[in-house]
Amino acid sequence: MPENYSLAARRRRLKSLSRFFRFAAPVALILFAGLTTVANAQQPSPVLLDTMTAELHRAYTSLGKQGDDKQLPPYFLSYAVSDASAVSIRAQFGALADSSSNHIRVADVQVRLGDPKLDNTHGNHRGSAVNSLQLPLGDDREALARTLWLATNAGYSNALDNFLRVKTEAQVRAKEEDSSPDFSQEKPQISVAAPAPLVQVDRTAWEQRVRTLSRIFREYPDVYQNLVLLTAQNETDYYASSEGSRVVAPHLQARVVILAVTRAEDGMDLFRAQTFEAETIAGLPSQADLESAVHNLGKSLEALRKAPLTEPFNGPAILSGRASAVFFHEVLGHRLEGQRQRGDEEGQTFTKELNKEVLPTFLSVADDPTVSTFGKTWLSGNYTYDDEGQKSRRVDLIQDGVLKTFLMSRLPIASFAASNGHGRAQTGRMPTGRQGNLIVTSTKSVPEADLRKQLIDEAKKQGKPYGLFFEDISSGFAVTTRNSPQAFQVIPLVVYRVYVDGRPDELVRGVSIVGTPLAAMKRILATGDKSEVFNGECGAESGTVPVSAVAPAMLLSEIETQRQQQGTARPPILPIPGAPATSSTKEAQ
Amino acid sequence: MNPIRPTSLLAVAALLLTSLGAPRVSVAQQTRADAEKDPVFNAMLEELDRSMGHLQLPGFEKPFFIQYRIEEVDDFETRAAYGASTGSQHSHQRIARITVRVGDYKTDSSGARGDGALELASLDDDPIAMRSSLWSGTDQAYKAALSALAQKQAELKQVQTPPQADDFSKEKPTVALAEPHKLTLDEKSWIDRTARDSGIYRTDPSVSAIQRDVHYSSSAFHARVITIWLVNSEGTIVRKSTGGYQESLGVGTQAADGMRVDRSYATTGVTIKDLDSPETFKKTAVSLIASLADLRKAPLVEEEYHGPVLLSADASADTLRSLLANGVTATRPKLGTEARTNGPFSSSFHARILPEFLDVVDDPALKTYEGKGLVGAYDIDDEGIPAQAVKLVNSGRLDNYLIGRVPVRDFPQSNGHGRAGLTGPSNPLIGVFKVTAQSGLSDEELNRKLIALAKDRGLKSVYCVATLGVEATPRMLYRVDLDGKRELVRGAILDDLDQRALRSNIEAAGKGLWVANYTGDVPSTVLAPALLFSDLTIRRANEKNEKLPYYPPPD
Repeated sequence: MPENYSLAARRRRLKSLSRFFRFAAPVALILFAGLTTVANAQQPSPVLLDTMTAELHRAYTSLGKQGDDKQLPPYFLSYAVSDASAVSIRAQFGALADSSSNHIRVADVQVRLGDPKLDNTHGNHRGSAVNSLQLPLGDDREALARTLWLATNAGYSNALDNFLRVKTEAQVRAKEEDSSPDFSQEKPQISVAAPAPLVQVDRTAWEQRVRTLSRIFREYPDVYQNLVLLTAQNETDYYASSEGSRVVAPHLQARVVILAVTRAEDGMDLFRAQTFEAETIAGLPSQADLESAVHNLGKSLEALRKAPLTEPFNGPAILSGRASAVFFHEVLGHRLEGQRQRGDEEGQTFTKELNKEVLPTFLSVADDPTVSTFGKTWLSGNYTYDDEGQKSRRVDLIQDGVLKTFLMSRLPIASFAASNGHGRAQTGRMPTGRQGNLIVTSTKSVPEADLRKQLIDEAKKQGKPYGLFFEDISSGFAVTTRNSPQAFQVIPLVVYRVYVDGRPDELVRGVSIVGTPLAAMKRILATGDKSEVFNGECGAESGTVPVSAVAPAMLLSEIETQRQQQGTARPPILPIPGAPATSSTKEAQ
Repeated sequence: MNPIRPTSLLAVAALLLTSLGAPRVSVAQQTRADAEKDPVFNAMLEELDRSMGHLQLPGFEKPFFIQYRIEEVDDFETRAAYGASTGSQHSHQRIARITVRVGDYKTDSSGARGDGALELASLDDDPIAMRSSLWSGTDQAYKAALSALAQKQAELKQVQTPPQADDFSKEKPTVALAEPHKLTLDEKSWIDRTARDSGIYRTDPSVSAIQRDVHYSSSAFHARVITIWLVNSEGTIVRKSTGGYQESLGVGTQAADGMRVDRSYATTGVTIKDLDSPETFKKTAVSLIASLADLRKAPLVEEEYHGPVLLSADASADTLRSLLANGVTATRPKLGTEARTNGPFSSSFHARILPEFLDVVDDPALKTYEGKGLVGAYDIDDEGIPAQAVKLVNSGRLDNYLIGRVPVRDFPQSNGHGRAGLTGPSNPLIGVFKVTAQSGLSDEELNRKLIALAKDRGLKSVYCVATLGVEATPRMLYRVDLDGKRELVRGAILDDLDQRALRSNIEAAGKGLWVANYTGDVPSTVLAPALLFSDLTIRRANEKNEKLPYYPPPD
């Protein structure tokens, strides 16, 4: 047998490990994180944090200061360690398909060379400044320190290489549009909270609960695929930097994901998903509530299968609170990320709009990761410290329609030099400005019944036979780069026609929204008076992070829709096993 | 079935030989009724019957063949570095692979894609859930098969030369129900043992001198039990179960010039008892770590050398696996050609591919060799065909190929070598690949012969490869003086080691066989003797030498 072990293989393995935290599903749903809020500076310092601090100090004071060929010393060094224990239980077709647990520690080492004005992370080199390695789980100082040493060496070598290239590129390039520094000056943070305990789940009981939920779909034989997934993760983030930061912040989240899929007779694939989040597994809804959610999804899909196909439409519409929340997250939130205002390839939709009106004046938007609930609903996007060790804070992005600031990591932009506690990343990635809990508020809110009346009035005014009501939409992706059209992508799942002549509302399927984001948002006429929460997982350059968005229902004077592209595959030929026999099925045999 | 051409009387003889070897697997007289006592089979057979009976898109043909394979994988892995655990994972899943063929045995929908679907299956023995997974996969696979067949029929019209063999072989159904194995482990003790393994560099006093220079030390223990349920529409019902266990260690450092120096070792087996005792493992680990110090000090290999090279049996096993074992499988050639199969030996049927004194047989029924469990052994392949011992090479001549249910010219039947990796399609692959030398030499005789060759050629020294890393890179390479003195050297790669070298460059081979168990996607075993090559090239690798650590390791 060949001796086939090498360090490269180990690094590759680390990449594949991160996949444990993503469960492939037909839509990018998914999971984890969230957190507790108490930061207690009186906690005894964990061995891991002490070892990180000591090894960081040793590296920082040694690198570039030894040997004959003295290399450049780093001006900044940080260790961010994620220690996460997780349980995942998954059922489909009414039976258990997977039940597993995991505990893993990963260290992200960030090395910066040069100076804050120009360093090895400049431009496209940003991602290269993070090097990751799996860490031992226990308190063995020598094993921890050796692993950090190995990762720091690799990180430093990488940084030297990238810094050389950055300097060369700087010499041959024309002046950049935004000549901001590469790293902001911040005060060190010290906050040592108690680490999260290992996640505890009564596996047997939850396996039965998840199984039972999935089994309910047997009452809906047109649901061709279903998935019920419980995940619970307790994570503790440890952070130490050469600036003197020492942070221990626990993040906990439990989640139930229910997904169901069907296909209409014409080949259109249809799905519905619902998720429930809580800080811990004890906070999840009762089994009865979850069962009723499954029934609702089942009924909804059976109705959608039979719903008529949509027609192209350009007219007034209401987005439900949940739909608005997704819409604002995708259309607005991503474009307010600081790093999108700089960089040659970014669309920079809002870069020059600072202090200008970008929304109707009755709307304000904040991102507030410091709150953990909205009403009784847990917010996934909450955290106490961001992934650059900065304390989280509320940021008023848009006040009375006027753009005030952006979501800032420690990457400065022309208009803002400092972080506002929104530097976030998945383990192994370089943090960038990201959303946490995006909260939309309105001063022009009316009861939802009135909003509906306004929709009908607006449709009449425009001479349309109906307006649209978007009850549920799924997030897609926001494209913000320069060479792509400035279109947002959200997938409407449940849409009704609201007729002006008093006919009952009619469910339609296959609706897809088209149009440009700024225009769509400026056409908001009024909002409802109740806000809804969307909890989800958001993917971008810095990886997948848990987020929330909160918004009231919105009336838009005009939205353009078309029929979505659809598959052509037929529905299954034979009925699903266990389906009640009908004249057309052969299951009875 | 294709008629056997007159030119291939020898092929007929070869087939007779292999079928004589076949009855080594004794299959008890088990029946479908026995199988149906197992809820997994019960669900599989019910859905299979329903699909064969009723699955048809109006205006299109029904499937002529459906196969369900459910794999249950119970897998435990724990890893450690520098003496401390980095975590472990226990996963348990069932995956169903569904194959649907439309058309007929001569021309069917099979191809690079279009004959399979994968579904996660339930861990509970719940008949409806299990059937639902199969139903979903069958529907997809059937639709894909219909379009694949249409496409193939169109492609057939584009070529003048007809296919050289049927698409699918007709085989007798097999019913064989082995008892499932269980994964029973004391996980905690393996977590601790693995952590200890990775810390030997810290704890063993005999290697304390190199301790600070060890850049990484990582260990792992991996245990896996796979149970497979296989049914097809021809009546095959097979349940089989295998275990695989491995304990491993990898250590590495850099030499003063920056060259990476890596060593790794694994003990592998089909039961936990096959693994090294903790004492033996530790002893090997210590010698591995100590060899890092030797390698760091070892001189660089000379820039280029041409001449005799002795490959140890260990190194020969790796070499024969990559150069020979992967080439003697028969796979469907490109449409429209007259080729028999693909790969380096596609036209070598009955030609000499090894020296006259070497024989090769693939015998999956060989379960142990000198007391060591062989991971490549099996009774029935992953297409439900009983394994046969196949005499591949007789006195250097290629007389047979390993084949599954995809026939090639002159080979209309499977010889029980259709093997599949987890969730994968089956392909012809080796099981237990045994290379033997007629009148092989002892180690001492081989070494004498090596030196004699050196003297003949007027060389001052020759080389002996003890172990290989990946891609024919020697990890332990010795320069041997004419008086037999050995010196470890580093930084070499082997060159000119190819099929031609196997055919015309092997001077002698050893008597004893090395057991190399490969626990890859499809477990396999190679049994091989040491090989003395008369003329190979050894060159300095001249790879990029990374910088030495920028600062010293922690105390």
